[in-house]
Amino acid sequence: MTFDLSTLFILGIVYLMMLFGIALATERGWIPQRVTRHPIVYVLALGVFASVWSYYAATGNAFRDGFGYLAPFIGISLAFLFSPVMLRPLLDITKSYQLSSLADLLAFRYRSPLAGTLTTIVMLIGVTPLLSLQIQAVANSVAILAPEASQTTLAIVFCVLITLFAIFFGTGRGAGREKHEGLVMAIAFESVVKLLAMLTIGWFAVYEGFGGFRELDAWLQTQPELLASIKSPDAPGSFHVTAILFFTAAVATPHMFYMIFNENNDPKALTLASWALPLYFLLLSLPVFPVLWAGLKVGSSTPLEYYPVTLGIDHGSEIITLIGFLGGLSAASGLIIVITLALSNMCLNHLILPIYQPTARNDIYRWLLWKRRTLIAALIWIGFLFYYIPDDKLSVRAIGNVSYIASLQFLPSIIALLYWPRGNKNGFVAGLLLGVAIWFLFLMLPVATGTNLLAFSGINTREIIALSLVCNILIFIAVSLWTRTSAEERASADICALDTIRRRNRTGLVAKSPDDFIAKLTKPLGERTATREVLQAMRDLKIDKQEKRPHAMRLLRGRLEANLSGLLGPSIAHDLIDRFLPYTIESEHGSTDVDVIESRIEAYRSNLSGMAEDLDNLRRYHRQVLLELPLGVCSLGEQNQIVMWNQTMEKLTGTPAQEVLGSQLNEIGEPWSSLIHDFTIGDAAHAHKRVVQVKNHRRFISLHKAIIEKSAAHKIKQDGVVILLEDLTETELLEEELTHSERLASIGRLAAGVAHEIGNPITGIACLAQNIRDETDDDELRSMARQIIEQTDRTSRIVQSLVNFAHSGSNKLDHNSEVVTVEECIREAIALISLDKKRKEINYVVNCKPGLQILGDSQRLLQVMVNLLNNAHDASPANSKITLASKLVSGSVQISVTDEGTGIPESIRDRIFDPFFTTKEPGEGTGLGLSLVYSIVENLDGHIDIISASSRKENPGTRVILTFPCYDGAAAATGMPAEAH
Amino acid sequence: MYITRSTLLLLLFGYLLFLLSVDWVSQPEGAWYRPFIIGFLVIAVAAFCHREQNADDL
Repeated sequence: MTFDLSTLFILGIVYLMMLFGIALATERGWIPQRVTRHPIVYVLALGVFASVWSYYAATGNAFRDGFGYLAPFIGISLAFLFSPVMLRPLLDITKSYQLSSLADLLAFRYRSPLAGTLTTIVMLIGVTPLLSLQIQAVANSVAILAPEASQTTLAIVFCVLITLFAIFFGTGRGAGREKHEGLVMAIAFESVVKLLAMLTIGWFAVYEGFGGFRELDAWLQTQPELLASIKSPDAPGSFHVTAILFFTAAVATPHMFYMIFNENNDPKALTLASWALPLYFLLLSLPVFPVLWAGLKVGSSTPLEYYPVTLGIDHGSEIITLIGFLGGLSAASGLIIVITLALSNMCLNHLILPIYQPTARNDIYRWLLWKRRTLIAALIWIGFLFYYIPDDKLSVRAIGNVSYIASLQFLPSIIALLYWPRGNKNGFVAGLLLGVAIWFLFLMLPVATGTNLLAFSGINTREIIALSLVCNILIFIAVSLWTRTSAEERASADICALDTIRRRNRTGLVAKSPDDFIAKLTKPLGERTATREVLQAMRDLKIDKQEKRPHAMRLLRGRLEANLSGLLGPSIAHDLIDRFLPYTIESEHGSTDVDVIESRIEAYRSNLSGMAEDLDNLRRYHRQVLLELPLGVCSLGEQNQIVMWNQTMEKLTGTPAQEVLGSQLNEIGEPWSSLIHDFTIGDAAHAHKRVVQVKNHRRFISLHKAIIEKSAAHKIKQDGVVILLEDLTETELLEEELTHSERLASIGRLAAGVAHEIGNPITGIACLAQNIRDETDDDELRSMARQIIEQTDRTSRIVQSLVNFAHSGSNKLDHNSEVVTVEECIREAIALISLDKKRKEINYVVNCKPGLQILGDSQRLLQVMVNLLNNAHDASPANSKITLASKLVSGSVQISVTDEGTGIPESIRDRIFDPFFTTKEPGEGTGLGLSLVYSIVENLDGHIDIISASSRKENPGTRVILTFPCYDGAAAATGMPAEAH
Repeated sequence: MYITRSTLLLLLFGYLLFLLSVDWVSQPEGAWYRPFIIGFLVIAVAAFCHREQNADDL
């Protein structure tokens, strides 16, 4: 059975057009995102690994190696089954630092452009034969199906279509960082086609080739040699070497790196791939034996590798033949597209950009886009030439082996990247060069030239692979231990290593704001690119344009470097950022951002177990103690940067921790900045009751500090200051009140003594004066006696006031406890005041809620009201109004006396309750009235406030507010506390 | 790197299981698809282990 070239041509074109259609539909959004972004699409796209190597070469391998043909599938499956060991940490690093290829990753880790360039060159040498292998496989399968047709024509058309597809759907809009959902969807579709084709051919092999599973088993029983050969152990170690080779291939081949890390939308998709991709490979490898045996049974004359295509021909089934052909086509095209995309990025970042960079005048995105497109086309056509030029077409197996072995040389550096921070650039380069040299001389050259230049008898391919790897590892370790590692490389190693915590320099930046960043980057990138990149980094970090905190600026710098790394590669990005956005002072390596360490441990927390978990719990406990301490805790690191700000500090200053962490002390705002700064630079370890004005209120703060000595631990060199802030405002106010009460009490005692001592002589004087008045006829003498009596009366009143004042604060229990109706008391006070007819005319307005009662002494409350009315009366102009009101407020009775008088100036408001303080003329008042009111109100469990009655400038008036617990008759009857309401 | 005792125990157990399964696959009278049965079992165990991946995004 043969086919026309036109049939195969149309089939191939239709299939590739379907790929275009799927990619286009995805990019245009015609396929819903819940489908295109589903993790299963990512898993299927990873099936790109199953190239013609898996599709065609597997049958040949199965014949030669028996179960050994499963080694590649097992190798790569192990990498995914154990993804938390290697793939997941690498995914985190590549995502954080926008590393798009293994060359980027190694250049970033070993801080060497040379590492990136070497990796790219080795990959190019190793992978180009793989490209030509795919083209050859398609051409060979065409030759089998249509012997008359020109293979070259079909290969050229195939390459043209693949080139167009890769350029249209793989390069996006040029920034090089966006996900290519169309491409991923198309590659996932190809994986489905491959799998369905293989399963269909397998089913065909069993049922058409043998008639069913039972017949297959029966036939196998007649082939004991065949059965024995699949189970006989192949050459010792060859299975393991192949498995290791393909385990490494998961990361060290450009197409797998690109698909696993670049096109990953969600880390959870990798978790699904951890078991779903091995399942895919298992299903793909399952039909290999039945296909092989069916081909052997029918005695097919074609090479074993092409049995998936020829089985249909042998059994006269056109459909199965074409399905087999399509499966091969999809395996080849998927691999070529993804490899060239990945390689084009690597070549651009590590071969072209280090030599030639676009100027700031160019549109960088456009320049990169076109370079990338040119590289894709160039790589595919180099692959084609590699297929076309050699006369004798190399065997599928030989080329496959040789290509993959080059990638094995990256295994030591990848493992060291995650688990051995001591490994350095020199070790990596030396190990890689030696390993690659062995590979090239002993494997690549013999296969390429057909002559074994160094014919070592007895050394086979497997041993050379092992030798190259062992030499690579030993040299890597030896040179790394022998040579120095730069501080910069150590920092990178710490970032990548799993058991260390990310460290960041705490030094300040020359650029202080996002605008500064744009200005600095305009020089190398041009204004448009610089603005776009800075805004993008700000969006990624969710920071706004006003942000100026050093902590945020450092994060912005890191993000910019990562983003530019995705655009220009890590080496160029690092150089550019270092040159244009330098630090002001280089800080010592190892200095840490405590909050960054904590957030990282917090994120890693659920992975901790055993003692690590206990330690973490202890850390959290101590941290919680500090955070919830009822004292303000503020810890300062290098250059006065704030590293801790606990909850009490948040309440005290009204500034959330998120806003100040990482800021410098002078950025937290006054008065706290000056208060803490002055205290920090002073020698004293304690400062007592510093007064600060916060929102027009005085606050009394005590400060204590402790210096954190440098730690003896090797990696932690943090020093700083811990400052405790104690808010003593409440205590201070209480103390002031207590002092006031004490003063009143002492004056009361003094007044009682004075009253007693003066009272008696005054009484004597008054009696004598009365005697003189009554017994003399001399008018002048009588008049003088009357004056003496008047003066003694006045003195007696003063003495009486003193006695009253002294008694008022003496003992609460002396007071009568009776129910007083507030309104009655107010009206009685007004009646008493009104008796003095000599006074000026004042209107009294009573506005009382009826029935309000308090528990107390009616006479004393009356005295309070009379005193207050007297004061109000004296302060008020004639014919003005004095309002007396009472109301119920939150279970308390509030009585207010409001006048329209001159008001109380702010300057004397603090002193008006002091005894003997008066603003009246001498002889007009004793200065004891308000003191007395204060004492009585306090003794009645009340409270007094004096405020301005209005905001008028002239005669603002004064309002005195008395608050007493309300008396509730019903509650009193049931025995509840009288004031409860 | 911090390796817990349970991980070491699991590795030891896994290695012993691997040796047993290789013996079982290589038995001359055994069916040709035995490696695939083991493959499916391993994948099932892996799917079970990965079913509740913690939410740490490092």
